[in-house]
Amino acid sequence: MRGIKMIKKIQSLFLSFALIITSFIGLGQVATTAVAEEFPSKPIEVVTHAGLGGGTDTTARMLLIRTRKNLKNNAYITPKKGDGGNKAMSYVKSKPRDGHTVLAITPTHLFRMARGGAALDIDDFVGVARTTVDPIVIFVNAKSPYKTIEDLIKAGNKKPIKYGGTNVGSVDHISGLIFAREAKTKIAFVPFEGGGAIMTNLVGAQIDAAGLNLDEGKDQLESGELRVLAVMADERLSALPDTPTLKEKGINASFATVRGVVVLKGTPPETIAKLEKGFLKAMAHPVYQNYLTGAGLDASSVAGSAAWDAEIKKIYKEARAALVSLGLAK
Amino acid sequence: MELISKITLILDLTTFLLILGSTIVGVLIGALPGLSSGMAIALLLPFTIYLEPNQAIAAMAALYCGGTFGGSITAILINAPGAPPAAATAFDGFPMAQNGKAGKALGMAAVSSVIGGIISLIVLIIFAPTLAKIAYKFGPPEYFALAIFGLSMLASISSKSPVKNLIGGLIGLFVATIGVHLTTGISRFTFSVDELFEGVSFVPVLIGLFAMSEIFVQASKSELLLERIKFSAIKLPSITEFKNCGKTILRSTGIGTFIGILPAEGGTVSAMIGYNEARRWSKNKDNFGKGEIEGVAAPEAANNSATGGAMIPTLALGIPGSATTAVILGGFQIHGLRAGPYLFEQQPDLLYTIFYGMLLANFIFLVFGLLGAKIFSRISLIPRGFLWPSVFVFCLVGSYGLSQSMVDVYIMLISGVIGFFLRRAGFSPAPIIMGIVLGQLVENSLAQSIIIFDQNLFMFFTRPIAMTFFILTFLSLFYKPIKNLLTERKRT
Repeated sequence: MRGIKMIKKIQSLFLSFALIITSFIGLGQVATTAVAEEFPSKPIEVVTHAGLGGGTDTTARMLLIRTRKNLKNNAYITPKKGDGGNKAMSYVKSKPRDGHTVLAITPTHLFRMARGGAALDIDDFVGVARTTVDPIVIFVNAKSPYKTIEDLIKAGNKKPIKYGGTNVGSVDHISGLIFAREAKTKIAFVPFEGGGAIMTNLVGAQIDAAGLNLDEGKDQLESGELRVLAVMADERLSALPDTPTLKEKGINASFATVRGVVVLKGTPPETIAKLEKGFLKAMAHPVYQNYLTGAGLDASSVAGSAAWDAEIKKIYKEARAALVSLGLAK
Repeated sequence: MELISKITLILDLTTFLLILGSTIVGVLIGALPGLSSGMAIALLLPFTIYLEPNQAIAAMAALYCGGTFGGSITAILINAPGAPPAAATAFDGFPMAQNGKAGKALGMAAVSSVIGGIISLIVLIIFAPTLAKIAYKFGPPEYFALAIFGLSMLASISSKSPVKNLIGGLIGLFVATIGVHLTTGISRFTFSVDELFEGVSFVPVLIGLFAMSEIFVQASKSELLLERIKFSAIKLPSITEFKNCGKTILRSTGIGTFIGILPAEGGTVSAMIGYNEARRWSKNKDNFGKGEIEGVAAPEAANNSATGGAMIPTLALGIPGSATTAVILGGFQIHGLRAGPYLFEQQPDLLYTIFYGMLLANFIFLVFGLLGAKIFSRISLIPRGFLWPSVFVFCLVGSYGLSQSMVDVYIMLISGVIGFFLRRAGFSPAPIIMGIVLGQLVENSLAQSIIIFDQNLFMFFTRPIAMTFFILTFLSLFYKPIKNLLTERKRT
């Protein structure tokens, strides 16, 4: 008898455990019934396209810590991975336009849209706030003969520069191609699985140059293993005052990893204003500011709805033009 | 002795309790298929801002250690590896549990995990800055050669027929090609299913091939025999058994620590290669896959030593050595800390906290694992009719939970059906899993190498590390036939 009792006990433990886990996961699927009268009337869902613990996920989580307090409302993250953010976009599309569903957007989404065939178009969004800006910086190995960006460009004319970045069609790839076109040089793009791998291969001299976010190569820059040649931004970075921008060199290629939040068009303006206020206040708080500093970013990363909305449209337009001119989109 | 005096860093009650709690949570989360320690750390990250940086980092590191060990529990008991690094543990762990030796398998997993974990931590604290430089020496050509070396054991990874093992390996390699190709951006075998663009996720395939196909196997057994409850199931391994596994554990620890250091690879590959090498050098080769205790010790020592190994480039260079350490690096950022070459000079206290936090986590899960082995092993005594339906729920939840996608659940079910028929046809899941694990690495590193070498494959000869692995591969494939040929010649 004792044996059976114990088995039953274990069994019920087992089942209740499974139930707890199921409900834990179920949290992400809160029913969407109540029609909002006053915003917010239910928890806010932030949809990301990236895995847990990545830059987009962490930024969204840090943003939500204080946003919950500011809006006196709960908020949670739903990851929808797949097809360069398209999965996240088609999920957002299925939701009501009441501000309770927010999409965390990155250049990945914008490039995906620009390639065509995405669930949503650029005009379907309204920007709410920008959360981070991280310009792409051109790094080379400190032992390499390339002391200036001109050296690199010249070398590329003799033999294509082996230029590292993340996957094909990403902002790294496109920015590298545009840089080569504008600077009239040649690159052979070597895709890697992520920033860490690019940096390792650059220090290991497997590749000649790479477009990285400053943070990804900062330690190796300080320890003298890497060198920076130029920043793909309109203005110099405060952290790299001596590094020229490509623009100064007459090369028209400004690209950055920007992140922000958007809602669907048709969301009431007063709701957008409330969300914007809640997010901006959260990002002014030391919790978020310390996170930015820790990640090597500037406080100027944060921007409001008007500026951010204009920016995503501009990035989209440039991405579209770039993809068409490179023959990657029709 | 600065190192010893620094133990006070984790000796206050809050820190101790945090490490204790994190380790146990880690073990439990690691044990549940579909929930990984990396995920748990990511979810906890925002809450750690309320802790002291040292405490937060120690808790995350402890969770990482616990999670890696936890995967073995479900791998052994219900053939559902809780996390990918535990996949190889199921090869022999589950057969052991079926033979009524669950306790021995769990006990061996706990002890070999701890030995692997602790040795790798000692390597971490003493040699990290030097060893971290290995990461820079490994470019795509070296990874390619390493992966080829791993694949060279494909034919003999299980005791099933070599031809079937090779076919299984090819199936695995094929699955690994699904998705967008890294260097060309062309999508392959995705059939316009968005979820497949980034490839078939590994966890649902793992759960399907192991646990789901096991459910089918169990369901197809129609006899209603009352099984005699084997109380020997809760017995722990004997001292002799531990002694016999000593060499295997040490070898796996070396392999795991080394592969852990390589940023592109982590516990899963370490465990696979650790298992391969254990089989290669074992006296009981034919018992592998049927419940050989060395087959549990090898992957467990390897995947846990990979945790210490993976911490080496993470701390010394700021390059994550695995998916979980990438999240831990995110935790550093939240606390305004920087990993990298300066950590060792400027913030030695943080380093010591991580070292002692992980060390303590290892001891906690040793106690938890050994005491728990006696309790957990009783799961193998649960009548099949009760146990397997609950496992089915686990399979569904585990594959859905990862990215909350029904496509993953379908992948799990399809892999389960395919796995069932493959097993009936006499295939082992081991080579299939190996093919999937190494497939992407082989393909991507070759594609990258070709670009780096300007399309000239002879450039591989200019790479000493790569050539060493190629020579090892050649020897492992042709040593025996050549030896046989020579001895035959002598005779005639």
